[in-house]
Amino acid sequence: MKDESIQTQNKFIDSAIKGKILVNKCRNCGQLMLETVYYCPVCSKSDFELVEFDGVGTVVTHTIQAVAPEGFEDLDSYAWVVFSVDNTPIRASGFLPGIKVPADLPIGSKVKVTGYDKKHGLSLQKLP
Amino acid sequence: MTNSVCVLGAGSTRYGKLNESIIEIALNAAKGAIDSAGITPKEIQAGYISNVFGVADKQVHMAPVLMSNLGIPNVPGLTIESACGSGSVMFREAYANVAAGFYDCLLALGVEKVTHTGTTQSTTLFSYCSDFFYEGGNGASFPGLFASIARAYLTTHKATEEDLAYVAVKNHDNGLLNPKAHIRKKITVEDVMNSPVVASPLKVFDCCPFSDGASAVILCTEEFAKRSGKPYMKVIGSGRGASPAAVQGRADITTIPSTVAAANQAYKMAGLRPEDIDFAEVHDCFTIAEVIDVEDLGFFKKGTGAQAAREGATRRDGRIPINPSGGLKSKGHPIGATGIGQVVEVFEQFTGAAGDRTVKDAEIALTHNFGATGASAAVHIFQKV
Repeated sequence: MKDESIQTQNKFIDSAIKGKILVNKCRNCGQLMLETVYYCPVCSKSDFELVEFDGVGTVVTHTIQAVAPEGFEDLDSYAWVVFSVDNTPIRASGFLPGIKVPADLPIGSKVKVTGYDKKHGLSLQKLP
Repeated sequence: MTNSVCVLGAGSTRYGKLNESIIEIALNAAKGAIDSAGITPKEIQAGYISNVFGVADKQVHMAPVLMSNLGIPNVPGLTIESACGSGSVMFREAYANVAAGFYDCLLALGVEKVTHTGTTQSTTLFSYCSDFFYEGGNGASFPGLFASIARAYLTTHKATEEDLAYVAVKNHDNGLLNPKAHIRKKITVEDVMNSPVVASPLKVFDCCPFSDGASAVILCTEEFAKRSGKPYMKVIGSGRGASPAAVQGRADITTIPSTVAAANQAYKMAGLRPEDIDFAEVHDCFTIAEVIDVEDLGFFKKGTGAQAAREGATRRDGRIPINPSGGLKSKGHPIGATGIGQVVEVFEQFTGAAGDRTVKDAEIALTHNFGATGASAAVHIFQKV
């Protein structure tokens, strides 16, 4: 049996760098899930079609932290955001720089993926 | 399952900033449990230890080290980690091993020491308990994760930040009566609302502290407990549950599926319903967590947990007293120890050792403890004997 390394996170990052969210579509049951899930939670198969969706979505919830974890101290105020990816049942999360108070980012705001920062992860931008 | 399982003895250190080493902290709790049970270490057949950040005090592989320091180096030990839920998850495994007949008597001990690392490093260490690729790695701290849950709850249900403050006020009131509590300070709703924001919408007094501490119990068969002649209580329900590890993976962010699953299993095993519980120790790492817990455990309808806190239904003299110990919020949260600390509280309540915080006429109690944002959880139900 060929010994292949599973590198789901690297594929997800490669797509995020292009502003996309990489999704697995199960060839057996059609279930959609983030690409980092290796077995389908519905049918347990691991045969997927890779689909890239535009990294545009709607803010489901977020927070602005006074004390950031190590590695994020260099950022000015930012929001950690959970957003639903348009045209999918999938939610993802990332950091959105420049958000200082909750009023800056009402629930339901539109955001888009702008890239993947080696230090800070999935970066977002608020859309007008 | 064959054996009826009992808690025979319990011991706990003070929770807070402790100067002893992590092994010394553990030994203090172990001695308390052993003395309380009226046994000698030689009667312990296995050690179950819960701990998360032993590496921060230069000690992993905690169980054998502790067994050696208890003078029983040939007794097998096991260290279990399940983030903030480590204690209850470990308790479940210890319980199962006595129930299955592998052991008649064992030590179940949780311990943590983190305060020496400082706030920034502790915040970072705790973020490693998240689904790091999506959460900690994207800049979410643990207060941040629960703050995102709080924002979702306050947006979805009829509740306010002030409602959450009532949870903190109540738990601080209870903690004032607990000599081992980390933060013994009376606070008001105004104090909570005026405290600095940690992660919006959560403020300092919405958050539990980083704590050091250890708690331990002796678990045994009922036959062993009866022979001891010491007071004991029965474990009559046990459940485990799981949730998607990342908050983003949950269809409804305002409920914790692992709690619901674990509670349903424990209620079924005990043949009880939520209204049969006389008091509960629940996982209130943040005020929003207690609000969601009391709904997920079936004490209040979905969306009414905050209102219950505001109306006093969860106070010691309320309809269902929640966290008479002071909870994680006031008693403290040494994360490897917390789940066992809850069992210690029930034991003290049932054996007349809870002093002024005693819940009157209580005979059935529930403990609930989860890991991270609820990715893992365990619920146990106890009966006074």
